[in-house]
Amino acid sequence: MSTSSDPPPAAPPAVELEGITKRFPGVVANHDIRLTVEPGTVHAIVGENGAGKSTLMKILYGMQKPDEGEIRVNGEQVVLANPADAIKRGIGMVHQHFMLADNFTVLENIVLGAEPTRAGRLDTASARTRIRDLGDSHGLRVDPDRLVENLGVGDRQRVEILKVLYRGARVLILDEPTAVLVPQEVEELFANLRELTAQGFTVIFISHKLDEVLGIADAITVIRRGTTVARVLPAEVTARQLAELMVGSELPTPETRESTVTDRVVLDVREASVLGETGRPVLREVSFPVHAGEVVGIAGVEGNGQSELISAIMGLARLSGGQVVFEETDITGWSTRQRRQAGIGYIPEDRHREGLLLESSIWENRVLGHQGVPPARKGIWVNRKAARKDTARIVREYDVRTPSIDTLALALSGGNQQKLIVGREMSGTPKFLIAAHPTRGVDVGAQAAIWDHLRGARTAGLAVLLISADLDELIGLSDTLYVIYRGRFVARLDPSQVTPEQLGGYMTGAITEDVS
Amino acid sequence: MKDGALQRTLLTLAGAVVAVLLAFVVSSAAIIVAGADPGTALLAMFDFGATDIAVSSSIALILNRAVPLFIAGLAVAIGFRMNLFNIGVEGQYRVAALTAAFVGGQLALPAPVHLTVIIVVAMVAGGLYALIPALLKVYRGVNEVISTIMLNFIALSMAAYLVRGPLSGPRDEGQLTTSTTPLPESAQLPNANFLFDLFGMPAPRGAGLWGFIIVAVVVGVVIWALLSFTRFGFELKASGLNATAALASGVNPKTMVISAMVLSGAIAGLISMPEILGRSFAYGTGFTPGLGFLGIAVALLGRNQPVGIALAALLFGFLDRASAPLQFADIPPSVVTIIQGSIVLMVVIANEVTRRIALRWEERRAAARLAVPVKTGATA
Ligand SMILES: Nc1ncnc2c1ncn2[C@@H]1O[C@H](COP(=O)(O)OP(=O)(O)OP(=O)(O)O)[C@@H](O)[C@H]1O
Ligand SMILES: [Mg+2]
Repeated sequence: MSTSSDPPPAAPPAVELEGITKRFPGVVANHDIRLTVEPGTVHAIVGENGAGKSTLMKILYGMQKPDEGEIRVNGEQVVLANPADAIKRGIGMVHQHFMLADNFTVLENIVLGAEPTRAGRLDTASARTRIRDLGDSHGLRVDPDRLVENLGVGDRQRVEILKVLYRGARVLILDEPTAVLVPQEVEELFANLRELTAQGFTVIFISHKLDEVLGIADAITVIRRGTTVARVLPAEVTARQLAELMVGSELPTPETRESTVTDRVVLDVREASVLGETGRPVLREVSFPVHAGEVVGIAGVEGNGQSELISAIMGLARLSGGQVVFEETDITGWSTRQRRQAGIGYIPEDRHREGLLLESSIWENRVLGHQGVPPARKGIWVNRKAARKDTARIVREYDVRTPSIDTLALALSGGNQQKLIVGREMSGTPKFLIAAHPTRGVDVGAQAAIWDHLRGARTAGLAVLLISADLDELIGLSDTLYVIYRGRFVARLDPSQVTPEQLGGYMTGAITEDVS
Repeated sequence: MKDGALQRTLLTLAGAVVAVLLAFVVSSAAIIVAGADPGTALLAMFDFGATDIAVSSSIALILNRAVPLFIAGLAVAIGFRMNLFNIGVEGQYRVAALTAAFVGGQLALPAPVHLTVIIVVAMVAGGLYALIPALLKVYRGVNEVISTIMLNFIALSMAAYLVRGPLSGPRDEGQLTTSTTPLPESAQLPNANFLFDLFGMPAPRGAGLWGFIIVAVVVGVVIWALLSFTRFGFELKASGLNATAALASGVNPKTMVISAMVLSGAIAGLISMPEILGRSFAYGTGFTPGLGFLGIAVALLGRNQPVGIALAALLFGFLDRASAPLQFADIPPSVVTIIQGSIVLMVVIANEVTRRIALRWEERRAAARLAVPVKTGATA
């Protein structure tokens, strides 16, 4: 069956797609796509939000049927009716949005759907050895018996990859695997990927971070508006040229910035502490003010207390100590609704969990979280007309690519969902905004646009708390930068002085310094 | 976009019709097995009687059955909207019926006030009984399916005991059933036979069309508006679709569980009203059972939408009326139950099929559009 041992010139491409076309209600997601992936390489796919990358990968993974076109795996034409077919052909996929069951262990998640049985019972012992072996041989070490909900994103990613390898995949599809990772974790992932390709595995890799793409890929295919427009080698192009290939126009240059920080404190967090599920503190006596016109950035490896801090400010988690003061009022005891109505906006870190009603229309998603304030509200009623009108505005201003405002949110590409949420949370002139990974999963062009919107609102007096895994974003947008490590603020830095490398050092605890 | 919506509605309707037809096919098989002729059965079901009065009476019978089912469907649907399974509608309406009939029998008030008091008492009783599982869920994490089922047993036994003992009214010599003290004249809702006049039909026999149908229509409209156009309706839907997102959007899940459950219970309280205020004028051992459970099927069939629920209730009313004529035609009336069961099953299947067809249509429309604007986009 396998031809991977043949001499190189005779080896057929691991994956070959030809003339793939896929239509959805109101959109053509893929149109006459051509893609050739050589075995044992990392092949990157880049393109704007909604260009059709995820759709193409879902087709290759048998999750969606193409309307037209051919798929060849190792030179052999195949029909992939479902993921089981794809897995049989050695193709596995890690999705843009994680698909792990939180309350299961790593082992259970990995074997789920492919359970080894002995005499009808789950054979955990053999599964555990297999997972250990796989982990050791590919450098993907995760404790099989830990609960997934206690894992950081980097580990979750490894579990997703192990899950795919466990099923015998030789071709791995990774849809935006680095969107949620901090640079150190990205490095680890890339080391894993290099090891995998050295062993003959093939990796198809989607990312919006072009520097990373240039760093890891052996070949790059560019998709624009549903069709393949170029195939390039990383040595031949710069990140800038790549971006221009993607959007078909020039890239915006980052603005020079001037401080708009005022001395009016909008939000004041005072010695806030939060206890974790086990009763141990996960946020310890954190204090900081956010002024009108100021962006306060928080850098940290995921799982160091950022989520708890956000939850505490939004009223989703209870403080075990300390206060949250908003415009000189103690709001520690307020409900989430009161906080939102008082003018606190919230771009959540996980858009599918906290930000969207996937089975509802886009305009209804505009109402979500703003059902208590105009324009979405009129007395006890939801003001449909005004909400729809404002949705149309967001779609226009934030360039949300959608056939209509009646389209269901699940039909939007990941980046377009994100743009919708950002537009929603910025509407109605909030006084304070929590922006958790505001540009997660959006393309370079849209990222620049979102940054512009944030800067514009800041100039108008908005106070922003920015949490991000993207260090350039943190350094570029923040007026003040804190580093969070194990639930504490361990450093306060001047973003105009710090380099991403230094920041990385503080985040992992390699450099220590007390907050002034 | 607009003609797309029209097409979808037509498709949904077509799906429902096909489902009902298929259900009749399945039932025909059952009738043949039972040794009768499906054709005769069908004729019997549509035979509303020879005279105009008989036809009116048949229609009144259907409506009198459909109205409580409609209300029951609404009660269940409110919970379903947020994935809250109120299986306790059955118990809630019994508790409400007993309480309201008993209270109503003790009072002497002018008619409008008296009627209002009874209706309000029924809603409060139903709501309060539903508050128990709501509180158990919110503060103790008890699954509402289990608690409401248990509470149904309690309600049914309690009502049976109370109506025979402490709350029973005067009983005539030799009467086998017991019931609460009958409502005085002032608490008897006038019938709605004037509706037949409007259509130029004679008034039906007996108690006629129960007057509560008017109230039921109003309740239906109010619930429809509440679910579709208000903040509460939006938050209910959001909680059902994505609980974590609802939480982050400022929806308090505890408040939602409690208010949805209590509202559902309050509506459930109304289920008994058509009968109590229109015919029996008391709650007794012979009171119609099972409306709460049927309400689940009706809500399912009506896709949790008030209009759909109304249609489903009418269909069930139609089928229930058919059991008497079927018996005259020597066909076991349990055929009706078989038909009802198969309809629910077929509709669930039809819903899925029509959903897929609608999707394919839209894709084809998109493909037609590909010829012009999108393609230029692809090469831009
Ligand atoms: N299930 C679906 N139903 C309808 N339309 C869909 C569906 N999935 C994707 N689309 C549409 O297909 C197009 C391509 O989406 P896709 O998710 O492949 O984009 P992408 O390149 O992965 O973008 P991103 O970088 O934002 O993740 C988009 O216009 C999207 O709205
Ligand atoms: Mg995508």
